Amino acid sequence: MITTEGVRAALPHRYPMLLVDRVTELGPDAIRAIKAVTVNEPWYARLGPRATREDLAYPDFLLIESWTQTAGLLAKRLAGDGVEGQVMLFGSMSDVGFHRRVLPGDTVEHHVRLERAVNDTMIFEGGSRVDGEPVLTVGRVTVAFRPGERPGADTPDPHPGVVSRTGGR
Amino acid sequence: MTIDAVTGLDREELRELLAETIDADVAEIRDGADFVESLGVDSLMALEVVVVLERRYGIKFAETEMRSVRTLESTYDLLCQKLRECS
Amino acid sequence: MTSPVLAAPRVVREPARDEDSGAWSAGFSVTITGDEPVFAGHYPDFPIFPGVCVMECVRRAAEAVMPPGAEGARLAAVESCRFLTAVHPGDELGIELSWSPRGEDWRCAARVETERGRAASIRLRYRREDPA
Repeated sequence: MITTEGVRAALPHRYPMLLVDRVTELGPDAIRAIKAVTVNEPWYARLGPRATREDLAYPDFLLIESWTQTAGLLAKRLAGDGVEGQVMLFGSMSDVGFHRRVLPGDTVEHHVRLERAVNDTMIFEGGSRVDGEPVLTVGRVTVAFRPGERPGADTPDPHPGVVSRTGGR
Repeated sequence: MTIDAVTGLDREELRELLAETIDADVAEIRDGADFVESLGVDSLMALEVVVVLERRYGIKFAETEMRSVRTLESTYDLLCQKLRECS
Repeated sequence: MTSPVLAAPRVVREPARDEDSGAWSAGFSVTITGDEPVFAGHYPDFPIFPGVCVMECVRRAAEAVMPPGAEGARLAAVESCRFLTAVHPGDELGIELSWSPRGEDWRCAARVETERGRAASIRLRYRREDPA
């Protein structure tokens, strides 16, 4: 179990892009975590006086981000201290299916399983549910650790993809 | 059109699967083209190819075997051998 | 659906049917400014435009030029997405996308570039929710 403070210590993401509330299960090659969706999400700030159900549907690409952050927590744990200060890159994803809208009041439960790991590269799969109903399925997401590069550093990012810094705060 | 007599492994189907996985055109995947040198496959993509092959053909590669997933030719031969082992 | 991205893609090449492939393709440009809300938390002193937000820009562009016959189709899946270089505040994204039918569904394949080179290649799958 990783508490919210544990999640915050492990991930460099911050408001409005820290999208994992708590880890509920953490095994040797699998993890479960939750993200509660409220009517107060920052993205709804731009809605007009009247909003339709469609307007209030949680952004589906942020469901993917929330899921990959859960995968990131597992990746960091699997990689151990060897990657402290390294950058975690999401290189690619495939077969990500959307099945149902997520709406304010829903609690999204992510499950992530490690499929393969070879030196600094890992592949995860899994999905997300609300009240036991699948909302997202993830065929494959690849993660790799690269020496930490900051934007503007002279060395061009070899493969920065979606970068998330693993260095301790 | 080569389909392996014992395992039914179709070379052209393998070519298409590899092209889709590494985001390349089927024409680029010549039999002897090296994934890393000529097709720009990095360590991330290489592991993806392994996982896609394992899922598609229901096999498991040992880490030592992964190294020979370098060209269509070598991948086809390795797959034939592994599929024969369990058929 | 509400979007976490403010930037709106601008058409730079009007949608047109490609003679030989029959694909319906178009070109877009998107300016990612520093005041995108995601940068505040992604990351506080290391602003990187999230990969899912690059996908969101492609989606908004794609949905602005749905091909004839695909109206009403909704995003069903991300078939594949590969991130190659990071996108930073102030970057200009060039998006080349093309729609092609896939049986009953539609596929939108897009290439995203910044002036530093290829940033991402993305394939989205759209499906019409039949009322049945």
